Amino acid sequence: MGKISVIGAGNVGATAVYYIAERNLGDIVMVDIVEGVPQSKGLDFLHSSPLRQYSVQIFGTNNLKEIAGSDVVIFTAGIARKPGMDRMDLLKTNARIAQSTARAIVRYAPDAVVVTVTNPLDVIAMVLLRETGFDAGRIVGMAGVLDSTRFRYFIAEKLGVWPGDVRAMVLGGHGDSMVPLTRYTSVGGFAVHELLDTATVDAIVEKTRKGGAEVINYLKTGSAYYAPAASAAKMVESIVRNERRLLPASVYLNGEYGYDNIFLGVPVILGKTGVEKILELELTDAEKIALDRSALAVQNGVQTLDSLYEEKIL
Amino acid sequence: MQGEIYMSRVSIVGSGNVGANTAFFIAEEGVSDVLLFDAREGISTGKALDLMEAAPIRTYRTKIAGTDSFEDIRGSEVIVLSAGHVRKPGMRREELFEENATIIRELAARIGTGTGSIVVMVTEPVDLLTALFVEESGMPRERVLGIGGLLDTTRLSYAVSRDLCISMENISALVIGPHTKDMIIPERYTNVSGVPILKLMPRDQFFSLKEETVHAGDFIIEMVKNSTAYYAPSSCIAELVRSVVLDADRMLPVSILLCGEYGIDGVAMSVPAVIGRRGVKNIYLPKLTADEERQLRKSAEQMRLTLQGGR
Repeated sequence: MGKISVIGAGNVGATAVYYIAERNLGDIVMVDIVEGVPQSKGLDFLHSSPLRQYSVQIFGTNNLKEIAGSDVVIFTAGIARKPGMDRMDLLKTNARIAQSTARAIVRYAPDAVVVTVTNPLDVIAMVLLRETGFDAGRIVGMAGVLDSTRFRYFIAEKLGVWPGDVRAMVLGGHGDSMVPLTRYTSVGGFAVHELLDTATVDAIVEKTRKGGAEVINYLKTGSAYYAPAASAAKMVESIVRNERRLLPASVYLNGEYGYDNIFLGVPVILGKTGVEKILELELTDAEKIALDRSALAVQNGVQTLDSLYEEKIL
Repeated sequence: MQGEIYMSRVSIVGSGNVGANTAFFIAEEGVSDVLLFDAREGISTGKALDLMEAAPIRTYRTKIAGTDSFEDIRGSEVIVLSAGHVRKPGMRREELFEENATIIRELAARIGTGTGSIVVMVTEPVDLLTALFVEESGMPRERVLGIGGLLDTTRLSYAVSRDLCISMENISALVIGPHTKDMIIPERYTNVSGVPILKLMPRDQFFSLKEETVHAGDFIIEMVKNSTAYYAPSSCIAELVRSVVLDADRMLPVSILLCGEYGIDGVAMSVPAVIGRRGVKNIYLPKLTADEERQLRKSAEQMRLTLQGGR
């Protein structure tokens, strides 16, 4: 059985552990800097194993050494943006956490594939790539799976069909800057445009863009974690079981889609080695413009990151 | 019959390979209790017992029972009809019509209109017998579903996944029309995570997968010799049962008596339908090419003649 480490034992991390345990994907190590939190959650999970009947080991620790030999590391550590906090502060804090984690991954889990969830997603992925020096295909960001699962759910809700029968491909950055390929969205094989008019599809796209914000508005003190954790766990499953799922993920682009040296959401096949293939689809002019806008936002984030390196903050 | 039945119940008429494996898949999913019935005495009780004796290891909590009394199936949420003769190597499904029609007519009379059950037709030729069952039982067409298109679809999905080396979970395929060599596979309705199939493989390759799908059932009979396929058929039945019992609203191609769809009346063929507690909730019609529509109507005409001949 493989080993999966989850960095960050907050709601996303712990819920991902739950999904991973239920599917018996591998033994699990949860790491968090807060003393007692990963230990307590690890124990709590083990206490439920006789009832839920999973057979994986779950272990909570404050020591990054324990990730030794992991096949997959899920990076969920970091702070969430609070009202009034600017994006720069968020980036600084989370980039530092990513940096120290990356160094531990190189040292203790040099063969791992890293699935990263922490925001700002596409920039933190870049920190992990630079600091690990891994092959680019071994760092993969979770964004498109989450945007597309929300999009699929909203379409299913509108049509009154089972959400699993809806297929969708969402590219670009996460949330606001996502680029849904609506002509590649289908329900039981039917193009979504055969079943819903354009205005309805557009409204669902908007609702999806604000999907994360809608949950935050209800929760007030936190953000969504069930769907994000389910998305990360899906990616982990595709890797550890070498299932080769075709799904959208934020990956390092080296000329694909005409972009260089940024992480951006595109369709990939995820397998044992991480990103096994990047799929280049033809885009319409409108889709390309939207993707350019997404890429520009990521490039700006990377410039900010570069300035942190220049100022020796990182 | 042995054991009490607590949760929703599915009855399976015909405890052969398809019937017993359907019970097995339903149990593993924990969807419903299952009652097996067969005209051959004892076989249902024996298979049910064997399945229950696996339960402590497989840890399913559903109850499976066998009965020799047809009356026991009353009150079932779903009745699966998997009784009848099966094909031998080299035989077409249509050749079973005469002998299996006799069995289905009798079952229709015994089940009657009074039942609130959903009927899942499995016996071949499935489209002809689905239409025959609706007519003979007087049940509304929405509550009689045949498994043809779903089986063809799962076979195509497998072939696509295998050729592309991409997880089956991402494959969305669609096969409609008759469950014969004239089934319709509209290319535009097969995709992988939303990406159209022809963006991922050349048309020639997809064409060969279509051919493989059309002959998949024959191939298995040729290889196994003394049996037809039953794992894939059973998984399709279990999925239909699940969508009914859980009111899951899955959109799946099922054989249903057509009333004007594609200009066809009085015969059953597979079309995509949303399946819930009351059976078919909605039917969706894929846009077909002129050739495909012509083929569909030709198949319908042949079926109509067979049905009329059988009367």
